[in-house]
Amino acid sequence: MSKPKARASQSQSTGVYKQDSIRDVAESLGITNLSDAVTSSLASDVEYRIHQVVEEASRFMRHARRTTMTTSDIDQALRVLNIEPLYGHSPHNPPAFRRALPFPQLPTAGPVYFVEDEEIDFDRVLREEKITLPKGVNWTAHWLAVEGVQPLIPENPPAIPRDPEDVSKSPPRTNTAFPPTPPSPSRPTAKKQQQQQLVKQVLSRELQLYYTRLTSSLLPPSSSDHAKRTAALASLRNDAGLQALLPYLIRWIGEGVVSGLKEGAQSENDGKVLEVLIDVISAILENNTLFVEPYLHQILPPILSTLLHSSLPPSHATHLRTSASQTLSRLLTQHSTTYPSLSPRIMKTLLLALISPAKSKGTREGAIRGLIGVGKEAVRKGLIEGGGTKVVGSECAPGETGPLVDAVIDAFKVLQPPSDMPETATPEVTEQLNEVIGNHFAAYLSGDQTWSLGVLSDTSQS
Amino acid sequence: MSDGTPPAETSSSPEEVSPPNTGPQDPLQTASATDRMVIEYLRARGHTSAEQALLDALDSGDPDDKGKGPETSTISTEELVKRLAVYAQKPSRPGENVLNDSGNVLQELTTMGNPTNIQNLIASIGAVGAEEILSLDPTDKQDGFTELEAWVDGSLDMYRPEFRPILFPIFCHFYLDLIQSGFKEAALKFFKTFASPLAPAHSATLHHLSTLFLPSHVQNDDLAQRFRNEKYVVRMSRSGFGLLIGWLTEGVGGEATGAGEGFSGERGKRGRAAVMRVVNNHLRFDVTASNTSSVSPNAWEESTGLLSSLIPQANGASANLTNPQVFNSSNGELKLGPAPVPEELRLEAERVLREQAVVERDPSVQYDSFSLRPAVQGVVAPSESDLPPLPPTFKTIDVNREVEKVRDARKRIRLEPSALTSVDLNSPQSGAARARALPSICAYTLHDAGEGAPCSTFSADISLMAAGFAESYIRIWSLKGEKLKGLRSDFQASSIRDSASIQKIREKGGSSTRKLIGHSGPVYSLSFDPLSGSAGPPKYLLSASADATARLWSLDTMTNIVAYRGHQNPVWDIQWNPMGIYFATGSRDRTARLWSTDRTSCLRVYAGHLKDVDCLKFHPNSLYLATGSSDWTARLWDVQRGSCVRVFIGHQGTVSSLAISPDGRYLASAGEDLAINLWDLGSGRRIKKMTGHTASIYSLAFSEESSLLVSGGADWTVRCWDVKGTGGPVVKPRENGSMGNGDSTIVRYGDGDNNETTDLLSTFPTKRTPIINVQFTPRNLCLVAGTYQTPDSR
Repeated sequence: MSKPKARASQSQSTGVYKQDSIRDVAESLGITNLSDAVTSSLASDVEYRIHQVVEEASRFMRHARRTTMTTSDIDQALRVLNIEPLYGHSPHNPPAFRRALPFPQLPTAGPVYFVEDEEIDFDRVLREEKITLPKGVNWTAHWLAVEGVQPLIPENPPAIPRDPEDVSKSPPRTNTAFPPTPPSPSRPTAKKQQQQQLVKQVLSRELQLYYTRLTSSLLPPSSSDHAKRTAALASLRNDAGLQALLPYLIRWIGEGVVSGLKEGAQSENDGKVLEVLIDVISAILENNTLFVEPYLHQILPPILSTLLHSSLPPSHATHLRTSASQTLSRLLTQHSTTYPSLSPRIMKTLLLALISPAKSKGTREGAIRGLIGVGKEAVRKGLIEGGGTKVVGSECAPGETGPLVDAVIDAFKVLQPPSDMPETATPEVTEQLNEVIGNHFAAYLSGDQTWSLGVLSDTSQS
Repeated sequence: MSDGTPPAETSSSPEEVSPPNTGPQDPLQTASATDRMVIEYLRARGHTSAEQALLDALDSGDPDDKGKGPETSTISTEELVKRLAVYAQKPSRPGENVLNDSGNVLQELTTMGNPTNIQNLIASIGAVGAEEILSLDPTDKQDGFTELEAWVDGSLDMYRPEFRPILFPIFCHFYLDLIQSGFKEAALKFFKTFASPLAPAHSATLHHLSTLFLPSHVQNDDLAQRFRNEKYVVRMSRSGFGLLIGWLTEGVGGEATGAGEGFSGERGKRGRAAVMRVVNNHLRFDVTASNTSSVSPNAWEESTGLLSSLIPQANGASANLTNPQVFNSSNGELKLGPAPVPEELRLEAERVLREQAVVERDPSVQYDSFSLRPAVQGVVAPSESDLPPLPPTFKTIDVNREVEKVRDARKRIRLEPSALTSVDLNSPQSGAARARALPSICAYTLHDAGEGAPCSTFSADISLMAAGFAESYIRIWSLKGEKLKGLRSDFQASSIRDSASIQKIREKGGSSTRKLIGHSGPVYSLSFDPLSGSAGPPKYLLSASADATARLWSLDTMTNIVAYRGHQNPVWDIQWNPMGIYFATGSRDRTARLWSTDRTSCLRVYAGHLKDVDCLKFHPNSLYLATGSSDWTARLWDVQRGSCVRVFIGHQGTVSSLAISPDGRYLASAGEDLAINLWDLGSGRRIKKMTGHTASIYSLAFSEESSLLVSGGADWTVRCWDVKGTGGPVVKPRENGSMGNGDSTIVRYGDGDNNETTDLLSTFPTKRTPIINVQFTPRNLCLVAGTYQTPDSR
């Protein structure tokens, strides 16, 4: 065949490689007067050659068991085609082509692409980045199928429920002569479903309804629906079958307590909210059908926060702390047998709140109430041996009365109830009292010899 | 198949009637044709009826005429008349001398282009002849193909599957014609207009053709030259063929309604003439005697295409065989039975087994070659003299292997996929049936593999795994966690007296993995030596790489001991002979070669594939070697004689993986057309086509009973196929009117999500691991390996 004559009117895009590119290359070599016919046929030829190389490279890609072509494939292809490979391209580090901003001066230029060449500051790299060697190749083995069933282990992709369509279709299919078709998880429709199925609906509609009703009748607390609240708490205390709701309830409590304490917690309303929440916790603890153990670590923070918070609403403070400490006590009696480390840990928290400096009176009171809740031993450890009373006493103004002092007295009463007919303590005992619990509270005890001895006796014994 | 029958004669006659344009006597003939053309033209003005008579004469003469010399010239003249008649009826056509005016004719008729260029073109063509000039007209190709497509689409449903395949070769020839004549834009437009419906089945070829732009490309391109020089075989039923002939000659027959009607005039005739030219010159019809409706839709494509060069020439025969079945049957029976075990080895193995039976108090352990591999019905077992030469004596390792084979056979998990087909999938029994039918699969996932691992393999005793990497090294892992210790080289030879002293010179320390360095290109294939079987760890490893070498590695010293050079190009695949000693390689240089480990030059070269030999597998009795190639065929070679004994044509893409069933009867081949074909080795026929994979298939393996096939591929899945099942596409009840056009009634392969055949038993997806190797242990546990692809990797 003779040489084809390219046409002047050839302006359409014939392929990937454009005539303009040929012209650009020619100009870069100093050839300026290339005719259209030459550029056109050259462009076609260049594209054909590129395709040749790519076709060859695709074989290397296939044999390398990859589905993406890399520069190494092109290199190999060039090698077998007896062309010098293009050096400087590593398949590890593929060049990223970036599109340059358009030139407003040259609207005809079209998009310009360039290879980003990042500058690396060695100083910075050496100073800042830790260069870690890659681990190298390793392998893991897992069961992809055991006797034809894919086990549900993390190494395998999540199971895809069979197409509901498929299920509905299979009965008629078995009636026909065709053998049944196995489910086909690779179908695109099935893949879409997989996405949705990941979030599994655990709560039944009834439980959801119950949850909304329950929470709405408990909060916000208004005096009018007192009966309702009582009923709700009673239901929570006694009803079976609420296990599924437990995580939701506990989260709800936690959030309620956090928001109740966060807003300064000075208003009447906050106090009521907290009170209700503490009631809910104790109701949950009282319900025998609930398995609370896994959630203990989530229940404790609301209780301890209520107990130790520095500024509870004044109207409810004492009541709140008392009921929190009672709840704590109930929790401990129920679960400290299965969790032996539970009481020591709680005690540690409370002791810290009691003894460490710069705590508010509220916190100290809460800590003492908490210790009362934990038990006699804890009170002794905290107030007498740990010197808690001394600390509190030194912070109290002489002659002061208030919830804190009441708490301490209550704690003493736990250690040893005051005698009915008090007789004044002997000077030795008074001296000892001053030494152990400080002047402030020694004054309270010194009027009762037995009581003082009861409180002190343990120190002398231990 | 039907070549010897009368219909085949019918089919070959039209092409003989009109010889190809490119013959050596072409100038002479066209010169005389030019003279005659003037006369004919003058006569033809208004004499269309005479032309019609000629046409009729041709049609009636077709079946019995044997295409003599005079006939041929008549035909070409007649075609010219037909075409000239069109011009004659154009009113704008000035009635002057034709020869002076041919440029103007074209000028009028071409819809695009600059007149001066056309004239230049014509001037350059010069005296080639008017027929050539006329065939250059790009519009009649466009018209012709439009009409052909309309005719095919408008034909009856029962004929459509058999007519559809003829669109593709005609499309290719039209495109190549246009390119060859320099009508680049017309060719591109043609391609753009018509390629899309053909794309699903022929994307690879179409893409290749679309890269050709210049006549020189067509002349230098292998594929284009094959289209030019070979006949494209199309299969048709007799009635379908009759309809096609009727349409080509008269524009009737079939259901040429709808879009075809607009072209029923002279333009349509010209288009049909262009189609006719391709049909005559480049197509060959394999007319089957069977009824249209009795042939399954996908059988029309089997053994069709550019066949003649794919089928090997039977020793020196001049006639091109055009049917692979003829070739396959001409090569006689194959000896596909299991290889015999030497008598002495058998006796020794029996003795050892008896001894062990006494020790284990288990009298049932008996060496019985029939219990090992039950005799396969209908295959001939080779005798010892048929096998390639093997060492005359046997060693302990051979005895151990044979003994272990018996144990494996006894402890094997039996897999019966047939159990699954008889059970309702939703019934409670289905679980038990699945357990009986499907294997347990253990997946070994490679992490942090850098540029990727092209290959991986397990030793038969599952003690070692090896992987070849793109970074030119091989890594071996001990799967048992033992330390891999090589032998040191710094020892006194005199100090070695017994096995204990050899143990002493092993390296100290070591880890459970070793890196073997020696290749200078990506490692594409690995094979552990089969000598120790499942009785012990292998001693040697073979590797093939892009550096054109194959290397033998000793697992005692952990070093490379031989590099086999001979291939000119990257070696794609390597495999040990099942008896050891020999091995075969397949390379990009289009050959497969047989080597023995003790010689550095090859023993046999198996040449015949038109493109790369991408994969190969030995037959279990080591008499034959199967190869798969980029020329879309698989072949079976006689290992010793070096000749091709079977050719398997049916894939629509590169054959990427092969497997031969342990019973020696079946060959499974996976292609880039995402299909797995199952072939009967004895007859060379395709048993069935299995589809379902959605990306390249990298590896195939048969279970030990040959009843189950497992495949793994780039779509991150492992799939299990029933070998004995009938297969075929899933027949879905179709919702009427959901698709609107006529396509909805055809069951087509590769149709979105509908391409899973019924013999796909199960699919096991991995998270993101393309499966590069699938393997069965002798006890039927399936092992697969792959490289995990991190989501951010390219």
